[in-house]
This record gives sequence, structure tokens and C-alpha cells, in this order.
Amino acid sequence: MRLPPRIPGLAALLLAAAAAAPAAAPRHDLFACVNLRAHQVMGNTRVPVKSGLYVSSDRETFTHTGHPHIRVFTVAPDPVDRSTVWVALLDGVVRARERGATWRTMTGWEMQEPRAIVFDPGDPERIYAGLPDGIAVSGDRGQTWRRMNEGIRRAYTETLTVDRTRPGRLLAGTELGIYLSEDGARSWRLVQTTDKVTYDLQQSPHDPAQFFAVTSADGALRSDDGGRTWQRVPGVPAAQTLHACTYDPATPGRLAYCGWGAGVQVSEDGGRTWTDRTAGLPNRDIWTVRADPDFPARLYAAPYYQPLHVSDDFGRTWRPAAFGEAVVYDIVFIPRA
Amino acid sequence: MKPRFSSSAVRRLTWCGALLVSAGSLAAQPSFTAPPPSTAPVEDASVRRLAYLGRIDEALAWRAGLVRPDAPSGIGLAEVAAKLARREDAALCSERVIELMKTPSGDMFWMFPVTCISYLGRDQLSAAAQAAIREAWRTYFPLRGFTENHWVMYYTSLYLMAQLWPDEPGERWFNGKSSEEITEEARGFLLHWMELATTIGQGEYDCTHYIGEYAIPMLFLATWAKDPAMRLRGRMMLDYLMADFAVETLNGLYVGSHARTDDVSVIEKWNALSSFFAWLFLGNTPPPASYGGWGIYFAAVARHYELPEVIYRIGTDRVGAYTHFERKRTRHRWRNSDVRNAPVFKTTFIGPDYAVGSDQGGVLQPIQQHSWDVTWAVPDPRGVHNTMFSVQPFYGAHELMMYFTEMPDSMPAVVTFQGKPTYIAEDKLLGGSPYEQIFQQDDAVISLTDIPEGTNHRLVNGFFSKDLARLEEDASGWIFAQGGRTYLAYRPLAPYEWRPLERGGKRLRSPHGRNGTILQAAAESEFGGWEEFKAAIRALPLQIRLEPVPRVAFTTLRGRKVECAYGAPPRVDGRVVDREKEWKLFAGPYLNAEVGSGILTLTHGRLKRVLDFNTLTITDSVAP
Repeated sequence: MRLPPRIPGLAALLLAAAAAAPAAAPRHDLFACVNLRAHQVMGNTRVPVKSGLYVSSDRETFTHTGHPHIRVFTVAPDPVDRSTVWVALLDGVVRARERGATWRTMTGWEMQEPRAIVFDPGDPERIYAGLPDGIAVSGDRGQTWRRMNEGIRRAYTETLTVDRTRPGRLLAGTELGIYLSEDGARSWRLVQTTDKVTYDLQQSPHDPAQFFAVTSADGALRSDDGGRTWQRVPGVPAAQTLHACTYDPATPGRLAYCGWGAGVQVSEDGGRTWTDRTAGLPNRDIWTVRADPDFPARLYAAPYYQPLHVSDDFGRTWRPAAFGEAVVYDIVFIPRA
Repeated sequence: MKPRFSSSAVRRLTWCGALLVSAGSLAAQPSFTAPPPSTAPVEDASVRRLAYLGRIDEALAWRAGLVRPDAPSGIGLAEVAAKLARREDAALCSERVIELMKTPSGDMFWMFPVTCISYLGRDQLSAAAQAAIREAWRTYFPLRGFTENHWVMYYTSLYLMAQLWPDEPGERWFNGKSSEEITEEARGFLLHWMELATTIGQGEYDCTHYIGEYAIPMLFLATWAKDPAMRLRGRMMLDYLMADFAVETLNGLYVGSHARTDDVSVIEKWNALSSFFAWLFLGNTPPPASYGGWGIYFAAVARHYELPEVIYRIGTDRVGAYTHFERKRTRHRWRNSDVRNAPVFKTTFIGPDYAVGSDQGGVLQPIQQHSWDVTWAVPDPRGVHNTMFSVQPFYGAHELMMYFTEMPDSMPAVVTFQGKPTYIAEDKLLGGSPYEQIFQQDDAVISLTDIPEGTNHRLVNGFFSKDLARLEEDASGWIFAQGGRTYLAYRPLAPYEWRPLERGGKRLRSPHGRNGTILQAAAESEFGGWEEFKAAIRALPLQIRLEPVPRVAFTTLRGRKVECAYGAPPRVDGRVVDREKEWKLFAGPYLNAEVGSGILTLTHGRLKRVLDFNTLTITDSVAP
């Protein structure tokens, strides 16, 4: 598109718009796990707003899907059936067909409050769920489950990440460290000790050997050898609970993390230095942060009990995107059906 | 003359969604407003049964009487349940059920009332009303919750509703599971919970309110489960729960240590749902306002159950004193612990005039734990703060992370929003502390605290009731008090100051980390008078040291030399007390059970009942 040189203001606007716009229509739907009743006590839920799973195809409108629920923690795509997503919520693991609309609880009374759910890309029948009391694995797409956390002391598991390059290889963020399994969760070994919970683990979209983790009392951790060894990331404080981290899929070396009191911190050099990008957000207590795979430089942040915010310049400026007084447990981008 | 109802009792009318009712409807609660009942046991079984049925009718009549046909929006699930239990106004109930099913809410607290109505209304509600209920269980997704009382309510309700609608596919249920799958899952959980409770103890043990959340589902199972095994299990568990309750009551008041109580009940001991059960079964205390709120759902089905006489006798015989021991367990721990369920060791001394009860201290439950107290008998408990105790007002993410899976930083603030407003307050009187260690010998308690520097609220609060008849600070360091016919000697281990309490009485505020409390109770009748009691206490051998850790050597009024040091097991008469080895699931004159046995033996006088959960048998016997 050729810009008229005599109206530079318009040119700047169009450039900015072009930077924010995707090259084509978004390839992913945005799923948000939202509690709009953060101070809601169990059993007293007569509030005329719907918490739970919201989906947005255009990043402008967010539509509630499935049942209202105040504790939906995360959602994962089904690698086989693109019309189905899998939801981890207080009640267990739910298979949600029709892009989240039709629910079936796939777990029983033995499993509660899953915080993480991932498929193994190399074995789409195999699902891993991180639970407060361990790790459960299904080899038949959720029909049956069994516990597989042998070797893990204090088995509280907040996050799971499957190595996309090697089937059966996954990392677990637990109460007291990061564990690695290379045999589909049959055995685990501690690869990094932490004092408290590891809340998020991400594999770099640019270098599959690189992983990044954030913790409750040990700051951020980085591995460059596929999770075998870890190093503390300099410049990241250990005193704050860090909730989430995200790589920018479009820009190698760019990543962000967030936490309670930590705001949003961004690195443009692979984690060597960090810049505070909290200005413009209503508080520094940020529940989650995620980069949008379809919009270069787009970042979402979820300030506690505030609207979900979006930035089109990776945190330099922010604007409210959706919801009111919300706790957004997670934001997940799922390939369209 | 006592006030007919206290201001706190009126506040409790709104508890757990109970309707806000007018003073006029309060007057329609005869036992709530009448003079207190006799605490003497009723000897004639037929008279007891008639009185029991009369109390059921009283509660249901009151709740049904709240219904005003010209104001149907005021008719809730509880009114419908009361009406259906009395077989009244089926048409009105049906209309209202259809409306109520349009806006279901409340999760498991919705499920069990609707289960109750569904069964009571099987032959009363219209087809349209029953269809509305059916549709709600397809479209409304009630949360399963995160504690055992939630799960017991949830799975009992699902079990019974799947029984009501068998052979239905997953499309007909909110969770996508078939009736058969729901039945299997619910049965699995219920059996698991029953096994845990009867082998290593209840998780949410001895709760002043949550007793209802367990007792009501068990009554439903005992009444409506078609499977005779599940029906019997429900009945046996209800016996179990009521025996566990009755043995730790004093004139109907739940005494001693509780996994969960609340800011009101912790000082006004009577004002709790547990008193509804005491009123209903033992007849020895007034019921709380609105019959405890949830109590209506128990009353609606209660005629199907009869409290075994042995439990009635255990709950009402207060002629002599006894010491009762229990082992319970913490609820599930997710973090900050190497064990899923830590043991809880309870001791409760009960006599005619007072009771003293305790656990071992520590964080055994989040937020609402009550670790020890003295409760003295009063002629009318309504509005009376007939208790004395101390508490280390700990709060923090540590205990919340242990028992909840939420993120740590927001939890303390969120708890204060969610119905526990005092959680982070310095002057709170509720909650356990990881820095408190307790030992009880007979009617004496020693509590030691060693609170690290930098801890929130590095102090100990002592509760001194507005209803104490005497209160004297003695030069010896003891604080002497009298409540009812009970003499009390309270010894703070560190300097203190007094602060007024909003609801009356005083708070002993002792702002020192190395600290503690010694409490010795005694009956007025044991002494020739007040001065004699004080002299006896002053004469008891006592050594106190606070450095390097708190340490007490105290010879009790009963002549037992008790030595406690923070961080070490207690010693009695030179012998180390090993709770892990010595505490049984139940031990005492009335309730006895071995850990892991699944067998509870109840005895009183010549009466004996054995509940054997392994063989699903109840064995009653009467000694010749």
C-alpha cells in the first residue's frame, strides 16, 4: 500500500494499524479462563454475571461458552478433534466439544482441581493433568486415568509442559522444584530444586531446547539444554510470586513474565535484561501474561480483579480489552477448527 | 430474666441463606423463645420419641408458616421442603418450584435442598414441577467444591438424584455423565469418605456448623437410598456423627476443640447449628434461631431416624466427670506438608458444671480452627459467653497454601471478603497457629507459644467473658475468675494488657512471642469458698521459664505433675506422653475405637451398640 506523502499524520496512523494487524485473519481463537466473581464464596453464587470460559475469534468480542464456573484454570486444544477443547477446572478435567460449549467431565472423585492439562503431540491419545496431589495420565483420551508421579516429593503440580520435539518427554513445575520425565511420566527426576511452587513453564517457540520457568520464591529460571539443567535468571527478584511467563512467537529473544506485585516485565535479549512494562495497567498484581501468536507484539495481561488488558507494542502501552472486575486465570490461543 | 434472644442470635438468622425473618416469626419459634428446657434425661423411651416428633413438627410448622401465598417470591427451597414434609399446599409448592428452578444457584448448597424436595415431593409435586427440577440438573453446573463437606453434600445428592432418574444418558446431566456413571462415582466417593472417617477420623471434625453438612446427607442416604447397604451406611454414619457429637456436649453445647467454628459460636457456645441437633435429639438446650437454618432440611426427614438410646444417654448423663480422647485428622493438605492428613489428638474433660477440651495445637485446619477452651454450664445459654480460652492470632499464606490450591498472595485478603472478616485481625479469637503447642491433663490446659520475630500479630489473646461472675488479678500472677459454678485460674506466661471487646468482655492482649497460658478449672463445690480455691491454686507447684523456649512445670489440682516445653513432648508424672502411640480413634468411658478398625463401640451403663463398618452390622446389647 502506497501512502500519500503529504499527510504524514495519516501515514503514521496507518503504519501503526498495520503493525497491530495480523497478516491474515487470526489463526487462533483466544480462550480466557475468567472469574468475574473474585470474592464469591462457594455455595453463594447468585450473581448475574457468567464466569468461566470465554472465547474470542476477533479479539474484540468475547463470548461465554459452556457452563458458568468460577474456577476454570486453563484450557488445552485437542490435537485430533479441532472442535474440542479440554478444560481444567475445580471439578476435574472436562472435555468441551463445540469449541467449549458442550461439557463432559472426564475425571472422577479421585481427581480434583487440576491446574494444568497438556496433550503429548507425539501421542495424541495421551493426556497429562497436573493436580494438587500429583500427576494423572490418560492413555485413552480421558476415558481412564492413573497417577504417575513416582519420584516426586511433595507432588503438588501447578504446570506441565510437553517437549514438542520428543514424545513422552515433559517437565512438571511442582511445589519443590522442576521435574523431568523422559518416559511419558513413568518416572521423574528432579532437575531443579525450588523453595516453593513453580507456577509456569514454557518452551521457546524459537529454540526447542530453551525453557523458561517462573516460581513463587526463586524468581525465574532458564534452561538451554531441554530442561536438564537450569540457571537462575539474573535481575528477576525472588521475593515475589511470579505467576506466568510467555515467549513472543514473532520475535526471538523477546519474552515477558508477570506476578503479584511484580507487574509485567519484558526482556528483549533472551532474559539478560528486563524492563518494567507495568505503566498503564491498573495495578502491579498481574495474574497472567500471554503473547498473541497472530498479532506481532500483542501482549495480554490480567491485573488482579481488573479488566483484561492488551498491548500492541509488547507492554509499552496498554488498554482494557475485556471484562470488568475479573481474575483471568489463563489465556490460551487455540488453533481454529 | 434472660433476654428472649440475643442480638447475635438475631444476626445469625441470615446465616447460610436463611430468610431474614421478622420479630413476629421469631415469636413463632416456641423453643427458641421459651424458657430453657430441663437438662435431666427423659427416662421413658416413648415419651422421648413423642417429644422428638414434637420438636420436628415445631421446626417444620415454623418454616411452613413463613409462607405467604400472596407473596410467593418469599417462598424458598426451605419453605417448600417444610411444606412438603407436612404434606401441605402441593400446588403452591409446585408453582414455586417451577420458578425456583429457573435460577438455580448455590452449588452443593442448592443440590441437597433440591434433592430433599425431589424426594419429599415425589407424590406431591406436579409433573411440571418435577420436570423443572429434572431440567435444572441438566442445565445447571453446580460446583463440586473443595472441602469434604462440599463433596459429601455433592455426591450424596448426585447419588440420590441418579437413583431417582436411572438409566439416563449423559446428555441428560449437567456433567455429561450417565446415571450409571454418576452412581458409580458418587458411591465411590461416599465409601471412601466413610472409610477415612471411621479409620483415621473425620477431616472437618467436631464442627459447630458443618456438623449439619454431614448429618443431613447421611440422613438422606439412610432414608432414601434404595441399596440396603448404602441405606445402612447412611444410618450408621449418622449414629457415628451423633455419638461423636453427644459425647462432647455439656447440656447440649458443643465444647472443646473444633476443626471449624465461627466468630459468634466461639464465644456464644450455644449459638450454632450443633445446638439444633442437641435440641432435636437430646432436648436439653434451646434451638438456635431459625432452627439453625439448614436444620430445616434435617427436620423435614428426621422422623425416619431415631437416635439410639445409648447415644441419648451419653449426651445427657452429666452426673459424673469423665475424660474422653479422640484422634481426628486434618483435612487434605496440598502444600507445605509431607503428609496428606496429619493426626489431630483431642482431649475433652466433661463434668456436671464445666468442660475443658483441646487439641495439640498447630495449624490443623485453615481459618476457623478452635484449639481449646473451658465451657461452663449456665441455666440458659442464649446470649451468654460461657467460655474462656486463649488463641495466638496467626494468619498467613502458609496455612492457606497448605489447605487450598489458590495463589498465595491474594488469599488472606480474599478470605476476609468470603465471610471470614476477622481472619487477619489482631483481636481475632478464632484460628490455629503453627506457633502454639497445647497439652491437657484432666481439667488443666497448658498452651505454649514461640512466635518468631517478624510474624504477623506476635501476641496471645485471652478471652474473658462479659458473663464472668468474678474476675480478679492476683499478685501471684494468676487471674482468678468464676463462671457459673466453675472456678477458673488463668495464668498468662508473659506481661499483658486489657482491651475491650466489641461484643462484651475483655481481651487479654499479651504482646510477647515466647508466651503461653495455663488454665486450671474446678467446680465450686470442691471448695469451701472462693478464697479457699485461690489459696489452693497459689499453693500448686509451678515453674515457668520463657528462655530459650517456653517451659512449664505445673502440678495440677488433681495432683498430676505436668511438664511442657515448647518443641518437646509433654511429660506427666515423669512419663513422656507419646500421642502418636497412645491416642486411639476414640477412648473413654463411652466411645471406643482403635485406629484403622472401622469399628466403634458405644457404651453407657448396661447399653452397648457396636457399629462395624467392615461387616456393615449394628449390634445392640443390654447387659443383664
